Amino acid sequence: MRKSGSRNAFLTICIAPATILFFIFMIVPTFNVFRMSLFEKGAYSPQETFVGLNNFKVLFKDINFIRSMQNMILLMVIVTLFTFVFAIVFAAILTREKIKGQNTFRIIFYIPNILSIVVISGIFSAIYKPENGMLNSIIGMFKDMSSPILWKGEKLVMLSIIIAMIWQAIGYYMVMYMASMSAVSESLYESAGLDGATKFQQFFMITIPLIWTNIRTTLTFYIISNINMAFLFVKSMTSGGPNHASEVALNYMYSQKDAGLFGYSMAVGVVIFLFSFALSAIVNKVTEREPLEF
Amino acid sequence: MKKKLVSALLSVAMVASLLVGCGGTTAPAEEAAPATEEAAAEEAAPAEEAAPAEDVTISVAAIETAYGSDIWAQVAEAFTAETGIAVDLTTDKNLEDVIGPSMQGGEYPDVIHLATGRPAGLTEQFIKSNMITDITDVLSMTVPGEEAVVGDKIAGGFTDTSLTNPYGDGKTYLAPMFYSPCGLFYNAGLLEEKGWEVPTTWDEMWELGEAAKAEGIALFTYPTAGYFDAFLYALMYSIGGPEFFNAATTYAEGVWETEEAKTCFEILGKLASYTHEITPAQANNEDFTQNQQLVLDNKAIFMPNGTWIVGEMAEAPRAEGFKWGMTALPAVEAGGAGYSYTWFEQAWIPSGAENVDAAKQFVAFLYSDVACEIFATAGAIQPVLGIAEKLEGDNVMFYSIYDNGAKAAMGNFAAFTPIPGVEVSPVFFEPINSVVSGSLTAEEWLANVSAASDQMRANLIQ
Repeated sequence: MRKSGSRNAFLTICIAPATILFFIFMIVPTFNVFRMSLFEKGAYSPQETFVGLNNFKVLFKDINFIRSMQNMILLMVIVTLFTFVFAIVFAAILTREKIKGQNTFRIIFYIPNILSIVVISGIFSAIYKPENGMLNSIIGMFKDMSSPILWKGEKLVMLSIIIAMIWQAIGYYMVMYMASMSAVSESLYESAGLDGATKFQQFFMITIPLIWTNIRTTLTFYIISNINMAFLFVKSMTSGGPNHASEVALNYMYSQKDAGLFGYSMAVGVVIFLFSFALSAIVNKVTEREPLEF
Repeated sequence: MKKKLVSALLSVAMVASLLVGCGGTTAPAEEAAPATEEAAAEEAAPAEEAAPAEDVTISVAAIETAYGSDIWAQVAEAFTAETGIAVDLTTDKNLEDVIGPSMQGGEYPDVIHLATGRPAGLTEQFIKSNMITDITDVLSMTVPGEEAVVGDKIAGGFTDTSLTNPYGDGKTYLAPMFYSPCGLFYNAGLLEEKGWEVPTTWDEMWELGEAAKAEGIALFTYPTAGYFDAFLYALMYSIGGPEFFNAATTYAEGVWETEEAKTCFEILGKLASYTHEITPAQANNEDFTQNQQLVLDNKAIFMPNGTWIVGEMAEAPRAEGFKWGMTALPAVEAGGAGYSYTWFEQAWIPSGAENVDAAKQFVAFLYSDVACEIFATAGAIQPVLGIAEKLEGDNVMFYSIYDNGAKAAMGNFAAFTPIPGVEVSPVFFEPINSVVSGSLTAEEWLANVSAASDQMRANLIQ
């Protein structure tokens, strides 16, 4: 009896630091975001006025906010789609096929992940430069470029950010898929091959179903990371410009805080929080399958 | 059992150390103290004379801009030597991020040197929530170590603008600091080579635009849309004088339906059509120097900018025979006045400051001959009378712009209580990017300005 008591005490002490830290740095701030979204307050002024749900009422009529949400959703959908396809195809090729320099490719694909977003923005700014930029120079070899393509201009800026984000994300997800693909038993492919299944059939009938749990997990990752990455890329590449053409929700939240609307920006935060939470839940539910064992 | 006891002790120690880590991080003043002693030892006599409170330490936070941060350390040292008040100095390029969090926690520096018009808008937020100390009495204080009164030293006009008296009640809340005439910067060498004259009216400007277009040179570019603040202010002055400017910046009813407003946006629209096409794609914080490079490379003639541009682009490659030139905004009609906007920074005392009296002394000291000279070594020019003699190099030409016929434009858009989704820069400056790209016309922009202006008027801080 005494022994189990001291054991419990020991366990409590062990768990306490993490719990306390989690409470102070995760629960309390999150709760504060929700609380502050009901108030009107400048970021530095101590006065706060309770305004109920008024911030949200204004928010859903705010054209700038709606545009920033649209941009964010566009980035989430397109970037997720392309990253997913590229990552899984590259992973399948690198694990299933015997090609020369496999490891080199693996490293090349993974490198963008080691770089900080600011560095990537710098690289892509150089690529997208209207005059003597890499992209325009290459295109210039085939067609007349007297009026250069403005990659960071109003029309193409979202596409430019999408390309940079996909380039950055592929390696990370590719490595994750490769890890679970290499766990799939070789014998399954052998027997499928004997039965006359083509590589494509093997990919869709064996590989995909067997790494399905992994795919589900990464889908949630995509949603959360793309919200954050969109902010980082926009902040460092365009600051939301030109004239808010590349504004995303988190960047808008930031700018509203700087405009002296702390409560309002917290309301934006709440909407993003609930949105990403709901979306992850829906995606999780929709992709639910009977787990396959092998 | 013994083993368990040890591990329990260890984990307790771990928790304790974590909690200690979370605790306050207050270890101030000590660092500044040696400096005080040193200074006091050096110049013991004046310190004794003028020191009311010797153990006071004021915290000063100053933004580090193109002028560097050394000048602030030197001025702080000189101030301590003069008054015996120690200074705990913070300088940073992103000052908002450094002092912001502790201010949210209720700990304010005593003096903050941070101009309005920065993206984070910290100073604006303090103005909007009435959190700045009234420093009108500083103007009648004697400068520490001198006979002169602060108000007599500051050049005329600097303490009458909405940038220093944000509430229009005749009281000064922000002290005017480093000023710089803004205008259109160009390559004087290029104009000489081509035999082009610097335009004095907008009609001449458009003629030059056509002539330049024939040579494949654009008339205009701008670093970022944010540079349109000084440009638009000067433009409003040159179109309708101070009356129109004051009406527009206080969002007077119907001001955007007037002829002046229409002329203003016609000029902006036309200027957009003469702007180098790649400008908007580079008009962001990362690529704006590329737009400035267009002028250095003779690909565009004019850009709105301030005198800091010379230092900012000092290392950049440039066209042969390049020579900086600067002109005021052209007049609307022949014989009319050209205007150059006077951009200046501000220093202020937050109302949460603890040592207000010492802070006011520090602000007064910023206008002393000693401080002005230290600032001038880095090219930071204080708005005091007789500063012209301390100028060197290109600055002589830049700062003489007002002696050569251009009138000075000062002021900014009046403060209003924050409105969700409506801010000065997105309404008045940033749409220029869309106008140049062709997705917005100048008329549509004017209509948007008019609508936003109504909202701002309704929320004006009285």
